[in-house]
Amino acid sequence: MIQLADAILAVVLLTVLLSLGSNRLMALVKIMALQGIMVSITPLFLEHHQNLEGSALLLFQVMILIKGLLIPGFLIMAVKKVSIQREIEPIIGYHASIFAGLGLILLSAFITDKLHLSMPGDHALLLITAITTLAAGLFLMMSRTKAITQVIGYLMMENGIYLIGTALAKQTHTMYVVEFGVLLDLLVAIMIMGIILHNINSAFDDVDTALLDQLKD
Amino acid sequence: MLELVFILPILAGIMASFLPAQLGRGVLLVAALLHLQITAMAWLGKLDPSLPAYFSTAPEGMLVLLVTSFIFLFISIYAVSYMKETQMDNEPIFIGCMLFFLATMSMVALADHLIVLWIAIEATTLVSAPLIFLNRSKAALEATWKYVLICSVGIALALLGSFFITLSMDLGNVHVPLTFSSLVAVASQLDAIWLKAGFIFVLIGYGTKMGLAPMHTWLPDAHSQAPSPASALLSGALLNCAFLGVYKVHTLMYAAGMGDYSSNVLIVFGLISMVIAGIFILNQPDYKRMLAYSSIENMGIIAFGVGIGGLATYGAMLHLIHHSLIKSSLFLSAGNILLGYGTKLVNKIGNMAKLFPKSFGTFFAGFAGISGFPPFGIFISELLIIIGAFRTGHYVSVSIFIFCLILIFAGASRIVMRMSFAATDQPVLVEEKMMRVVPSFILLLTSLVLCVWLPEDLYQTIINAISVIGGAVNG
Repeated sequence: MIQLADAILAVVLLTVLLSLGSNRLMALVKIMALQGIMVSITPLFLEHHQNLEGSALLLFQVMILIKGLLIPGFLIMAVKKVSIQREIEPIIGYHASIFAGLGLILLSAFITDKLHLSMPGDHALLLITAITTLAAGLFLMMSRTKAITQVIGYLMMENGIYLIGTALAKQTHTMYVVEFGVLLDLLVAIMIMGIILHNINSAFDDVDTALLDQLKD
Repeated sequence: MLELVFILPILAGIMASFLPAQLGRGVLLVAALLHLQITAMAWLGKLDPSLPAYFSTAPEGMLVLLVTSFIFLFISIYAVSYMKETQMDNEPIFIGCMLFFLATMSMVALADHLIVLWIAIEATTLVSAPLIFLNRSKAALEATWKYVLICSVGIALALLGSFFITLSMDLGNVHVPLTFSSLVAVASQLDAIWLKAGFIFVLIGYGTKMGLAPMHTWLPDAHSQAPSPASALLSGALLNCAFLGVYKVHTLMYAAGMGDYSSNVLIVFGLISMVIAGIFILNQPDYKRMLAYSSIENMGIIAFGVGIGGLATYGAMLHLIHHSLIKSSLFLSAGNILLGYGTKLVNKIGNMAKLFPKSFGTFFAGFAGISGFPPFGIFISELLIIIGAFRTGHYVSVSIFIFCLILIFAGASRIVMRMSFAATDQPVLVEEKMMRVVPSFILLLTSLVLCVWLPEDLYQTIINAISVIGGAVNG
């Protein structure tokens, strides 16, 4: 079972690197769907989450539905609507981004190693993946100019936070806390950003946040 | 049924969203009045929470609730007249969101559970975004985008901080409900490192919402682009709610014996906010942005005061009350000016003293108040913070503090003088109306009254709120 969990985490890491390197928005959304599903099933394969109740299983199904289907669906709609295929002028290039992603993995490994003393249980890879996903999400938000890519970066960051929550939660009551928070967060991020994306589209020809720089001092 | 405090505005908000605008205005006023009544009942101890696991009447929360409810009533009176003048397109949405905003902020004030607090603060972002976007201009769109994106990141980090606090519970083998009231009692058993990490993340997260520099970048845009009643609410009520989140975790840190650490962090963030606000106010071309930067400054002052501790904490709590009263009054006056001249640029505005004598009166008095002149309350609160800082030997930080106050006064007074007395050829678009002047006047008057006479209940509540972190009037 542990090996399976490690394999899933490796896939998550791979999706992180892929998303940093991909310039096609459609592909990016598909990668995010895969990552969402992988992230939401991770807890099922962890040792300390083995004895699950019915309600918990239901929660996982909902999570998979939201992260794997609903949100990517919305994102695909958004991509089609604004009819842009690729992110043309990233602030940091794709190769440099992948390289930065590798650096983030190393950094996360270092941080996890440092924190190891006070960690419950033994899942080093989980925490490494979680911190990498979080940091890469932030990186994506800062290094891309399109509004959609920024939203995707935010989603990735949330996935990272969810993984950190899973890694750290030991008892069942805290586990529910993790799930509930993220569910709401996802709803908020997508609903509002979706609406805003729509309006950015009608107000500008291009969904480029670089155009949003009128307000400054 | 303490929960009525936020259930009532939700119901009213749903009603107002479907009713025609005329009726909606009535609903807004009635809901605001009822909300103040329920708040008063909660203050008198007539209401008990039906879900004590999630909500409580913590003194600091009650304080924020009272301030929010009080200024909301006057903002809604102003908003009714404002809506008549501006012929808003989406009035039902505006009224609905104002009420939902009130509901979520009341929920923040009452929340005792770590996650419920987080959900409530999250929800404030959700319902206030449409308020900022109401004008549907390019600038409003940009402001809303920045607001939602930056605050979402902040809130996500706050969630992470909440996880860390939960983890510190797990590691310390503490088995109590995840509420602040029960955590404070067992704080010394919590794992120190993770609690510290939790504090930092929560401070960055809620600090973003509160407008602490350097996470403040959304605030001037959002406050200047939102319609004036919404700006007043954002500045006067929302920032307090975010501060409440920071404050609660600070009390937890204090109870765990790490109060020095969190106090120093708060002092540093407070001073950075004040310095940045001072720099940007100095040559500010837009008066609504000036007020927004002044909010950043005042949030910095509150964080600074809480960080200093002792007497300064009492000053910070007073500052919170008076800043809300005066700043919302200022934003309402600024709304009159914006309606009257049709521009936010200081350079195009002048001769306010002649053209808009009443709005000039409230704006100028508000400016005097926010700059710390007697007889308004900020004079006392800033004085107490300075005395408190001297008593505890924070000489360097208090020098920076005083320098920033002078800097901001210099910058703001130039702008206000120019607006009040310089010549202008701008035509007057909308005359000022009594209904749009009286609310800001009453808010100022309240600050004045509270300056000379503080009700015993209010005083006792402030003392109860700050005694947890060692704050006292004689401390």
